[in-house]
Amino acid sequence: MDFPENLPSSSSDMGRLEQIVSHFFPKALHIVLDSRIPSLQSRGRTRDRNLKKSDKWFNLIMGDRPAALDKLHSWHRNILDSMIIDIILIHPSHHDHAETVIERWVVQYENPLIMSPQSSDPCTRYQKVYKKAIILLRSLYAQTRLLPAYRVSRQLSSSLASSGFEMVYKVSSFSPPVTETMTEFRFSPVEVPPGRLCASVTYRSDLSGFNLGAHITLPPRIITDYVGSPATDPMRFFPSPGQSFEATSSFHGRAGRGPPPSPSERPHSWTSGFHRPPTPNQSFSPQFSPDFHCSRTEHQLSPPFSPSTPRGSNSPRINLRPGTAPVTIPSSATFNRYVSSNFSEPSRNPLPPFSPKSTRRSPSSQDSLPGIALYKSSRSGESPSGLINHYPAHKLTKESKYDSGRFSGLLSSSGSPRFGFSRSPSRLSSDLEDPDCSCPFDFDDVDESSAGLQYSQSLDRRKTSSSISQSLPIGRKSQDAAVGVLVQMLKTAPPLRQDSSTYMASSMSGVQREGSSVSGTESEFSMARSTSDALEELRNYKQLKDLLLSKSKSVGGATRVH
Amino acid sequence: MNCEACNLKELEVESFEVREVLRCILHTIVFHRALGLIRPKDIDLELFDITYVQCGEIEVEKKIDDKIEQIITWIAKHPNKKIQICLTFYEVKTKQPSWFTNKIERLYWEQWNINLNVIQPTKPPVGKSHHSKLVVDPGEEPEELSSRRTLLEQSLQEVLFQIIKFVNEKKDHVPPINDGVIYCPFEITFPSTSDSAFGIDMFKRMLHSGGHPSMLT
Repeated sequence: MDFPENLPSSSSDMGRLEQIVSHFFPKALHIVLDSRIPSLQSRGRTRDRNLKKSDKWFNLIMGDRPAALDKLHSWHRNILDSMIIDIILIHPSHHDHAETVIERWVVQYENPLIMSPQSSDPCTRYQKVYKKAIILLRSLYAQTRLLPAYRVSRQLSSSLASSGFEMVYKVSSFSPPVTETMTEFRFSPVEVPPGRLCASVTYRSDLSGFNLGAHITLPPRIITDYVGSPATDPMRFFPSPGQSFEATSSFHGRAGRGPPPSPSERPHSWTSGFHRPPTPNQSFSPQFSPDFHCSRTEHQLSPPFSPSTPRGSNSPRINLRPGTAPVTIPSSATFNRYVSSNFSEPSRNPLPPFSPKSTRRSPSSQDSLPGIALYKSSRSGESPSGLINHYPAHKLTKESKYDSGRFSGLLSSSGSPRFGFSRSPSRLSSDLEDPDCSCPFDFDDVDESSAGLQYSQSLDRRKTSSSISQSLPIGRKSQDAAVGVLVQMLKTAPPLRQDSSTYMASSMSGVQREGSSVSGTESEFSMARSTSDALEELRNYKQLKDLLLSKSKSVGGATRVH
Repeated sequence: MNCEACNLKELEVESFEVREVLRCILHTIVFHRALGLIRPKDIDLELFDITYVQCGEIEVEKKIDDKIEQIITWIAKHPNKKIQICLTFYEVKTKQPSWFTNKIERLYWEQWNINLNVIQPTKPPVGKSHHSKLVVDPGEEPEELSSRRTLLEQSLQEVLFQIIKFVNEKKDHVPPINDGVIYCPFEITFPSTSDSAFGIDMFKRMLHSGGHPSMLT
């Protein structure tokens, strides 16, 4: 038997058995999340001789385990703690989004008080146990492909218009029981003396109630009155003036979603075909902040709460309160404390980082993100130019320099893969790790580059205007606090993959300069900032600025070509 | 070690669906019995909304595909029949050579019976070609065909669940994993010509195993 950890023969049988148990958990976690969360899928095939020992466990090569998974598992110190993996579907519901646990995987090592008699030869016992554990994981792997959540996850990862649907995960060692009727499947336990490994999955067998089909994966259709695409005529600005705000806001908020066309507008080749009533106020508020939670591919640091939390206050979910300590991965003791406090005091710092989604998610997280709250309160009914006034102008001017440089770069070489750029205005976090966005010819990129071009035009006009710098924010301090909160959030984000794109390189210096200009807030967060954190921050600012600029532009009635 | 047998639920298939259905079932079973170091491969079925897992070994794929070709050829000659395909796993044991037995002995330790009822469609569907890689345009399918397809998809999923359940419940009879062996050796048999020939196949297997397949020492 090819045991990955080549223990010396003198080591105890119990040691090997314990290793089997302790490696079982991360392997199961990897299998489940790999099949549900695209951002955690292993990329590339490692050659067989370069395989890490960890990948050889249970003779199932999954590819490199993403760092996020290692972090997730690092809290699981005590093998007697059960590991509960919740797969949660975020879906539009009434006025907002709702979360529903569609799957719950439970892996635990039960340690009975009475030890079962050891009947078999100790030397071969661990081999038999290992063999059975391998079979168990094989069936778990196959089961992940059979359950309905797999198809949903595939649809969401490949669909052009996700329409508010997202799949996130939460890993914990305690979760409240799920209230909906779910089907349970228990894998046969594997006896691993002195206890046994158990795995089970509880799942919703019918996901038709979420109406996924209506919003996802529209079949390709032929546009009979094709008007061309941004690729052919980059300088054309397609959406109508009334539409532009809609376009930019939706572009900002949702990954992979094109601007929803107004009913009067012809569908273009680069629209996703997803239709929504274009109401600027309504669409903006859920869409701006979900800039954070728009993508399943982001690595976020704290899990969404269970569906039982009140809809209106998402504060329990978000750990972005000013002054909150940076989220770290605690030991299991700390974790258990978090868990117990999680449900008794929703306002406290929530669980340690698991599903990274909810740090960014905030359809209604007004209280926890004052900067965004500022946006939203001024949003409703106000002109976009009012928003611009709230934004620190110095950031705008600085960023516009970078943006225009980058955008012009895009315009000049539209064929080259600039996914690092094309994604950034639309996402606030580590998109670069999203495999889907690495393809320059992906449909999503076309959508976003088109909206990005809108930004570029607005920026080019803005660059020379000095009106922004004059109309400085009145509430400067609160804005700084908001910025500080954003910085905090970004700091706790996992580091970006250090791609060698010029975009990143040029942005670094910009971030440093901008950091120094934010007075008062930077001193509060004097922790070491990595380059990737700064990059995140820069992208954040850029997005905010882009949004503001586009809003002001649309209201300013700049000439558009349609 | 005894030989465990599992009878899978019967599936009603049309001849053009046989390939995908068999590939799905056979690969799923072999995946659970490929206990060596493998890199699993997810395969999406074209005709159904199902994803199954292959063990990723080329030899296995080739062996299964070859056997499926034989089965399809047989089905073409024997339309509208029920067919049972047996996938059996065996251990290769070397025995003391004596004058009447072979040196190599196969000990069958598991048998899977895949039951298919191959039906002919009542009328040839419009626009379909009876090619192996068939993508059916759902828009052209009449309602009864699509409902039959949906039923078949559900049944196929049930069969896959059945496999997973069986694999979970019975683990003790699986022989130990030898170093360097990726998958447990297996063979696929089906009635090749007629019922009497099926008996000959069974007799051959009995000779190989040196006894009744269900009574192995």
